[in-house]
Amino acid sequence: MIAIALILGFFFALTAEIIPCGPLYALLHPDFVALLLLYWAISSSSELSFTIVWLIGLLQDMVLGGVLGTQAIAGVVMIYLLYTGIARVRSLASWEQLFFIFLLLLTHRLLVWLWQAWAGTVTWHFSLLLGPVIGALLWPLFTLTLDYLRHALRLKHI
Amino acid sequence: MPALFFPRRYPPLLRVAVLVLLTVFVSVFSEKHPRIKSASLTVAYPVQWISMQGTSFWQQADNYLQSRAALESENARLRAELVRARPELLEADILRNENRQLLALLDSIPQPPGKVAVAQVIAQNFSPGSQLLIVNMGARAGIFVGQPVLAAGGVAGQVVSVSPMSSQVALLSDLDSSIPVQPADSDTPLLVDGKGDINNLAVPFQPRNTSLKVGDRLVTSGLGGRYPPGLNVGAISAIIRNGDQSFAQIVVRPAVRLGQLSTVLMLWDSPSPRPAATP
Repeated sequence: MIAIALILGFFFALTAEIIPCGPLYALLHPDFVALLLLYWAISSSSELSFTIVWLIGLLQDMVLGGVLGTQAIAGVVMIYLLYTGIARVRSLASWEQLFFIFLLLLTHRLLVWLWQAWAGTVTWHFSLLLGPVIGALLWPLFTLTLDYLRHALRLKHI
Repeated sequence: MPALFFPRRYPPLLRVAVLVLLTVFVSVFSEKHPRIKSASLTVAYPVQWISMQGTSFWQQADNYLQSRAALESENARLRAELVRARPELLEADILRNENRQLLALLDSIPQPPGKVAVAQVIAQNFSPGSQLLIVNMGARAGIFVGQPVLAAGGVAGQVVSVSPMSSQVALLSDLDSSIPVQPADSDTPLLVDGKGDINNLAVPFQPRNTSLKVGDRLVTSGLGGRYPPGLNVGAISAIIRNGDQSFAQIVVRPAVRLGQLSTVLMLWDSPSPRPAATP
């Protein structure tokens, strides 16, 4: 049951990232897959498998159509960094987690950018910071919604 | 949850390091072999297809819910546009006939118009690093790498990788994109490069005393044989001459609204598009 919910969740997150809604949406939308990974890692009592995080990132790369491995490595490093301070983050309320979430999403975005820069020509643009900012601001709402859904569906985490 | 492949007894840093190495390998390998790109497009197709269904369902619902008044006003606007366009169409017809006669006089065979097909955009990925679209036509529909992609207004970009059911289009604004053009009223060969910005392209390496002016229309020159000549690319929107730079910075506004594409035209051009020069 929880596996189906997770697969559906990641599926929706992926869809939300590629949906053709014009340039403004493309500029502003947060990385939904990264947000969902963070939520899963923080709310699950056991440790996520890095391999699974990596495979989800690889699928995301295939769907987005960039250099293969970009999202995969960013996701793995982000989750690793989260685990170095997981006990502290878990003890905070969701609006207090906001700052950590921002830093993690920022790391994710920068890693994606670095990987693209390494694979080809990429210019820096400050609009790259908008996604993490909006993602972090959405975090309390995001956790509340998912907590509610999990409670309503009586899902236990793996 | 259970550990996949890696037993948990290894320290996390080691596991991450191994995955990072694996990623380096995957990235390099997939960039070297276009087959892998095409395979990954195939894997991604179901997700993109379902996302497209969702979008088109939403658009249909939106259309259905539009008020009668909005539809009436749109109808009136479109009628007015049609009335305005009719004389121009007539003029175009006359010009086409005249052109055919002139080409016959020049002893060059007029090219049959290329075949086109309408493809639907099923995914977009706009970031400063890449400006890509995925469209719902692939190798099965005869799409090939390097194929020109048009949209209302002019050139949108070209196909960069193909899978059986879908293909990836790099827009003109993609950082790796470069298209040979010339001003509509002269033969100066120029390039238009993408800058990772959806609204602004650039003409590189033009001297500060360039003869180009703001407002000049740029069309494809047909050099390189990838795009047929005469297609609209954009218009020069600004020429910036900074004191300390040896080249003028020329900004081009694309003719196509690259950020708002929902359908594109895939073009199959006839093989030798450049008409013979004067005898």
